[in-house]
Amino acid sequence: MKKLFTVLLAGVMVLSLAACGKTAESTNTFTMGIDPEYPPFSSLGDDGKYTGFDVEVCQAVCDKLGWEMKIFEVNWDEKLVQLDSNECDCVWSGMTILDSMKEAGYVISAPYYDNTQVLLVKSDSGIATSADLAGKDVAVQLGTSGEGLLNGDLSDMAATFNKVITCDSFLKCFTELDGGAVDAVFVDLPVAVSYAQEHDGFTVLEERFGDEQYGIAFRSGDEALCKQVEDAVKELVADGTYKKIAEKYPDIINNLIFLQ
Amino acid sequence: MILEMSNIKKHFEDCEVLHDISLNVDSGEVVSIIGPSGSGKSTLLRCATFLEKIDSGTIKYEGQTIAHTPDGEKPIYLPKKEMVKVKSYFGLVFQQFNLFPHFSVLRNVCDAPINVQKRNKEEVEEKGRELLAKMGLADKADAYPFQLSGGQQQRVAIARALALNPDILFFDEPTSALDPELTGEVLKIIRQLAEEKMTMVIVTHEMSFARAVSKRVIFMDGGYIVEQGDPEKVFGDPSEERTKQFLRNYQQ
Amino acid sequence: MSLLTMILKMAEGLSKTCAIFFLTLLFSLPLGMIVALLRMSKDKVVSSVTRFVISVLRGTPLMLQLLAVTYGPYYLFGISVSRNKLIPVVIAFSINYAAYFAEIYRGGIESMAKGQYEAAAVLGYTKTQTFLKIILPQVIKRIMPSITNEVVTLVKDTSLAFTVSYQEMFTIGKQIANSQTSFTPFVVAGVFYFVFNAIVDFGMGKIEKSMQYYK
Repeated sequence: MKKLFTVLLAGVMVLSLAACGKTAESTNTFTMGIDPEYPPFSSLGDDGKYTGFDVEVCQAVCDKLGWEMKIFEVNWDEKLVQLDSNECDCVWSGMTILDSMKEAGYVISAPYYDNTQVLLVKSDSGIATSADLAGKDVAVQLGTSGEGLLNGDLSDMAATFNKVITCDSFLKCFTELDGGAVDAVFVDLPVAVSYAQEHDGFTVLEERFGDEQYGIAFRSGDEALCKQVEDAVKELVADGTYKKIAEKYPDIINNLIFLQ
Repeated sequence: MILEMSNIKKHFEDCEVLHDISLNVDSGEVVSIIGPSGSGKSTLLRCATFLEKIDSGTIKYEGQTIAHTPDGEKPIYLPKKEMVKVKSYFGLVFQQFNLFPHFSVLRNVCDAPINVQKRNKEEVEEKGRELLAKMGLADKADAYPFQLSGGQQQRVAIARALALNPDILFFDEPTSALDPELTGEVLKIIRQLAEEKMTMVIVTHEMSFARAVSKRVIFMDGGYIVEQGDPEKVFGDPSEERTKQFLRNYQQ
Repeated sequence: MSLLTMILKMAEGLSKTCAIFFLTLLFSLPLGMIVALLRMSKDKVVSSVTRFVISVLRGTPLMLQLLAVTYGPYYLFGISVSRNKLIPVVIAFSINYAAYFAEIYRGGIESMAKGQYEAAAVLGYTKTQTFLKIILPQVIKRIMPSITNEVVTLVKDTSLAFTVSYQEMFTIGKQIANSQTSFTPFVVAGVFYFVFNAIVDFGMGKIEKSMQYYK
């Protein structure tokens, strides 16, 4: 009896493997590329485990598809190169969709999040609008959409600043602000909100900049994989799992496109 | 009396290298020190030239006490400032020459008189060239030590020692590092200095040279002066058995 | 963005790269000598403390030291983070390189034959004169190849300044690479470093040659 059960189980596994057909080698692992310093989407928790909205959704997707999920920490400003070199199967980490990515041939999922950039300042700095930052220093994370905006659409505003400092992580941006080396951090709305909630003495300015969306990036040619993930997410939305996960992240829940 | 060393004791770790050695050198005297290796000859020179500190005893130059142990405890040397002057009383020629490789020959000879004794540069250089000419190296003034043979380097070292106008010159096995065919040119210079009544103390293994050039020969063994006296007497008819044995070994 | 614009933008950062390079050498070369002398001190406490500090500086990544010098004072004592990042960058680089130079100096000094000291002592040179006139020039000649190695490494290490957001050439290159989704800036950076090091190599070669008049 026991033996029969084992045989059956093996058969089921083989079938599910065949069904998945994720890649030519048909391995059943799915490696998610994340920036571990990007809460609440993806971060390394106090217990040493990865957590965050994107990580949880990805886990749910993998559970649904019977994949084993792995996590790869990408170097944010080299994320697409690392994707190309097969170090991960996707970049899924609060990633802003850029036209240049599509032009370069990457397969980008349907957007799932509307993002907005804001300025985070010290509450006692007396800075109320971006105009107050004329002649002051502003930090932005290298490789984020905020940096792209300051160099592109918002370069006129950036020109009024004394200088724009690019840091290689949000932690450093915030440390620069906290330590008095810069006067504001130009950052994604949810990141700013969660930081201001956890730390006293910081204010998110009212102004909103940019209108960008988050998506998942796959290698060019991986349309089928992208579709598989998108469909799985749709099922999660339909069965309420998606909402359950989102409710753990109140800072971002209002911007999630699938819940609107 | 130019040099008076009395009751010098010196040990390294557990090894007693000099047992109560006394050595006086008179003006114009040429003293050779012979003996097997490890007998303390070189250590005696190094104590006389302050490269080693004595354990006890007295060292005087020109009657002036430079180092002594009045209460039998730690030796007292003159303060550093006065030692600079004391060092102009003597010169030392090393077995390994120890020329300064980055200085030209002339600068090797002249740098200390100019920068230590603070003498006039032109005069010193003129004297330096004279000394080099005397050493048969007039044309090597601008050469660097690595361009010279061992014998030539040792002659530069002698000129360097002489440039400070010392009252006494010490030689620590001056030909031991030289190829046999080059020893002659160095010994010739020392012989020439002896004829000019230069006061010298020579530690050497060149027995026939020691016999010919010195006024007094000292035979040391095991940290003691075993025998000393007229070279004809020490070499020709030594009174101590150990001296005889040493010389016999040497002749073989 | 055209290649020329890219090159010009990165060349702007090159002056900051040069600032790190020259200021680090200016401070670390003499500082290294002081550290080497402390390391060789007859005082056991001084020499072992120095030895420990050197091993920490050589045993931890320069990147961590940059972070420690830049943000450490703020986290530990609440001292404001410097707005001019050149200051903490040069401090961290100078201290780190001084540790490496110190060990090179020490190796050179300890390799000198005893006879040089003895000859100088007998001729009446003071200890300072002996060190400066006799020992040091020979040590410098001896250690030149090792120094050149470190200097070449320093050129490449300047790129680490990006960790504390100092806008030197490589940081700017990364920014451009990122916004243009292009690898070209890294190629440009590679060429810049290579040319910089070719110049350094040439200069150091000249210095080494100028000391080849003796052996």
